[in-house]
Amino acid sequence: MRILVVEDEAKVARALQEGLGREGYQVVLASTGEEGFYLVSAEAFDLVILDLMLPGRDGLEILSTIRKRGLVTPVLILTARDAVENRVQGLDQGADDYLVKPFAFPELLARTRALLRRGRTQLVPQLQLADLEMDVMARRVRRAGKDVEFTTREFELLEYLLRHKEQVVSREMLARDVWRETSRATPLDSVIEVHMSRLRHKIDEPFDRKLIHTIRGVGYVMREEQ
Amino acid sequence: MRRPWPRHVRSRMTLWYVLVLGVLLLAYAGVASSYLFFSLREQLDHDLLEDSERVEGLLENSPDGMVALGSVHHGDDEPNMQRFVEVWSSDGRLLYRSPSLRERTLGGPPPTGPDYTAKDTPSTLRLADGTRVRMTSSLHTIVDRRVLLRVAHSEQGLWQEIQEFVSVLLLALPAALVLAGLSGFALARKALAPIDAMAHKAERISAERLNERLPIENPEDELGHLARAFNATLARLEAAFDQLRRFTADASHELRTPLTAIRSVGEVALQAPKSATEYRDVIGSMLEETDRLTRLVDSLLTLSLADSGHIQVQRTDISVLGLAQEASSLVEVLAEEKQQRILVEGEPALIVSGDRLILRQALVNLIDNAIKYSPAGAEIVVRVGAGKDSQSIVEVVDQGPGVPQEHQSKIFDRFYRVDSARSREWGGAGLGLAIVRWAVEIHGGQVSFESVEGQGSTFRVALPSSTTPVKNGSEEVST
Repeated sequence: MRILVVEDEAKVARALQEGLGREGYQVVLASTGEEGFYLVSAEAFDLVILDLMLPGRDGLEILSTIRKRGLVTPVLILTARDAVENRVQGLDQGADDYLVKPFAFPELLARTRALLRRGRTQLVPQLQLADLEMDVMARRVRRAGKDVEFTTREFELLEYLLRHKEQVVSREMLARDVWRETSRATPLDSVIEVHMSRLRHKIDEPFDRKLIHTIRGVGYVMREEQ
Repeated sequence: MRRPWPRHVRSRMTLWYVLVLGVLLLAYAGVASSYLFFSLREQLDHDLLEDSERVEGLLENSPDGMVALGSVHHGDDEPNMQRFVEVWSSDGRLLYRSPSLRERTLGGPPPTGPDYTAKDTPSTLRLADGTRVRMTSSLHTIVDRRVLLRVAHSEQGLWQEIQEFVSVLLLALPAALVLAGLSGFALARKALAPIDAMAHKAERISAERLNERLPIENPEDELGHLARAFNATLARLEAAFDQLRRFTADASHELRTPLTAIRSVGEVALQAPKSATEYRDVIGSMLEETDRLTRLVDSLLTLSLADSGHIQVQRTDISVLGLAQEASSLVEVLAEEKQQRILVEGEPALIVSGDRLILRQALVNLIDNAIKYSPAGAEIVVRVGAGKDSQSIVEVVDQGPGVPQEHQSKIFDRFYRVDSARSREWGGAGLGLAIVRWAVEIHGGQVSFESVEGQGSTFRVALPSSTTPVKNGSEEVST
């Protein structure tokens, strides 16, 4: 999978290259609009991550060129929070998704996966991690063969974590996708923490092998070992 | 392009009233001269008629079949008064003509036959050489001969008088205008001098010296009014600048706190080699601070967008009780953790028109605060009811320590914290209540609170109910 990252801030660009590289993607960097423009025209990519504020050629211009050439490569744009207009314009001009800077890296990974997977998503009704099984249709969860009871919110949270197993999810992703709260100003952190500790209490506490892990400063991940 | 028009108000004013005065004086001169003309002519006519009667008496037939005029005593007494006489027979023959007329005639031979009549009133006539005369005619019988007598007086004296009169007026007019212009200019300058002074004073008031005010000499007159209006603008400007300064200072303080933490955590970590786990811990701690920074910047941006009126309020009809239940269910788990109970009660029928997300955030912030400040096991009441003026009221009652008197006026201010150490521990930046106030005020509502130290606080949100007409779309927001 080849990803083109058009980003002028060198630190951010390198971090993206390393982080995405670690996930197994092949990352090509472009630090100016011209370079990005050239690469997009010359080579084939599976995804373009495009910073909207670029020196030289404007990010939106690159985007509209890509679309005018009839390329269907998914484009994820990065934009600043106060540039609401840009964002809307970006989506109008054919961006597939956007992320507001500063973004959490797990979130970028999740969006990247979603865009690369697009069209091939299937919602598996049976989720499983180690000896934890979830039947989404029957709304039933078992750990080590024993039924565990959850409230609706806890169930949704666990389902989300299991669908993203072995991936770090940020609090922001949880707030948006599980609580459907779009505003970052709403104080949901402690609410999320309480729910996570309840999940832990029900799933992990009776067992030696812990499945829910906190990544300090980033978020949570469900995986078999630390 | 240059306008041929004076730059200063005082010159313009002077020019205007010199113009107006000039027109008025000209009109006056016109009216006065015509009045003089008509009265002089009336006098002339009167003299003419009298003279004509006198001449009648002097007419006599001369032996050669003509008419002669007896000795003339009158008419020559006044040197300016020139008398002309003509006598015509009924068959159009000239019987007499004064020598002073020489070859000129007073209107030629009269029509004969039935038209052989006389005019009753004097009329003006121009002689062949251009002399204007006033003439009267009358039918007269000398012995048994009917004759037409024409007597005329020259108008020369009349015109001379008029001319003198008008020239005196016209000579005086420019002088009067110059005098009026000069004094007008002086007056205008005197009247406008305070405005000049105000302008100079105002020019010196810069952003750094906004506390200065214009002097008000007479608060009742126009200038006093102007100065007061200007001072009021200055006061608002000063308040805005103060708020901005305070906000910037507070914001940079708030930003500096997590930055300092990131920096010192990183620097300390690099002082000595550490294990991988320790490094993870350090990075995690730095990321936590980054998260705080992000959140702070987001809140600041929300508030600044709100200040500039850029936030679109998407109005829908919302059940107030439903909204309260939604908000409380969002943070209910936090209360459960402290064995607190949130009781949502009240009027289910109340509807407000507003932005669901913004209003919910306001209520979430209030309930979240109530949970934070109430002790374990407390009960938090969220009460929905109707207020006066068809308002919907939401009250959030906590059992916390209350707000100390000295903080009460400021708790809705940005970055204001009653107890900074304690609040920071909970991750607050002192923006929660500021956001509540903004959210309520853009919906045309008010937020207030009552608090008794040691017995808890009641925060009250009053929103206009949906029955009152509401403006649609985005609104100007003032905070």
